[in-house]
Amino acid sequence: MTTIRMVDPATVGGKVREIFDAALRRERTVFGATQISNIWRCMGHSAELLEANWNRSRALMQRGDFSPLQRELIATAVSIANACHY
Amino acid sequence: MRLGVDEVGVTELMGVTEHARAMATVASAVLLKSLAGEATLIAPLPAGEGDPEVEALLEEIAEWARATLGQPAVPIVWRILARNVHYLRSTWRKEVALMAAGALPARDKRRVTLGVAMATRARYMIEYHTAVLRHAGDTDRDLLEILGVVDHYTTLNTLSEAMQIESDIRPPTA
Repeated sequence: MTTIRMVDPATVGGKVREIFDAALRRERTVFGATQISNIWRCMGHSAELLEANWNRSRALMQRGDFSPLQRELIATAVSIANACHY
Repeated sequence: MRLGVDEVGVTELMGVTEHARAMATVASAVLLKSLAGEATLIAPLPAGEGDPEVEALLEEIAEWARATLGQPAVPIVWRILARNVHYLRSTWRKEVALMAAGALPARDKRRVTLGVAMATRARYMIEYHTAVLRHAGDTDRDLLEILGVVDHYTTLNTLSEAMQIESDIRPPTA
């Protein structure tokens, strides 16, 4: 059960809107998402947190020498090891 | 998990992940601290003291270590398991089967196991998998890239667990 109210993507503006749009564009390409995923929505209450993690996401998941698949394999394994359901 | 990986690849990834986690548990449980070796909870079997099957398995592992780690010594974790032939045989056979190239290349699998060792902070297995990857040619920059993914996903995992975020990502249908 989610312990926080999700930000409604329709009502946000400014920096948060910009990042939600960019994140959705990426997720649409990567796994065919049709709406912004909950992990980004939950950060939408804090533009600073959202921006910091989005920048790290781009830096660490999109800018390296490995292929997207190679990074995703490690990411999935880490999430399992951390026993993360999401 | 899209990016062109089918059920076989996903299952390979799950196998490699749980194996890495199991080995990290083993290494931490016996208080193995580093590849350099020091006192452990269970003493490693001294060379030449195993029964013929144990010695044959250890010789196989030594060959693997020469080819894959560039060192002749059997890593201590295997010498500890060598005190029980069933434990050693089943774990080593699993390692060989799961870590071989399949739908996923062997080096990508090893990068996954390093990521799991980092995420579970298992020092010995971090050194172990890193040694394999360095011998295969991975650079400091490559290792940092692995750490970056581990770090970032630990962040996302922490946030989503803290807020109990429900998954909105569904597996492909059809």
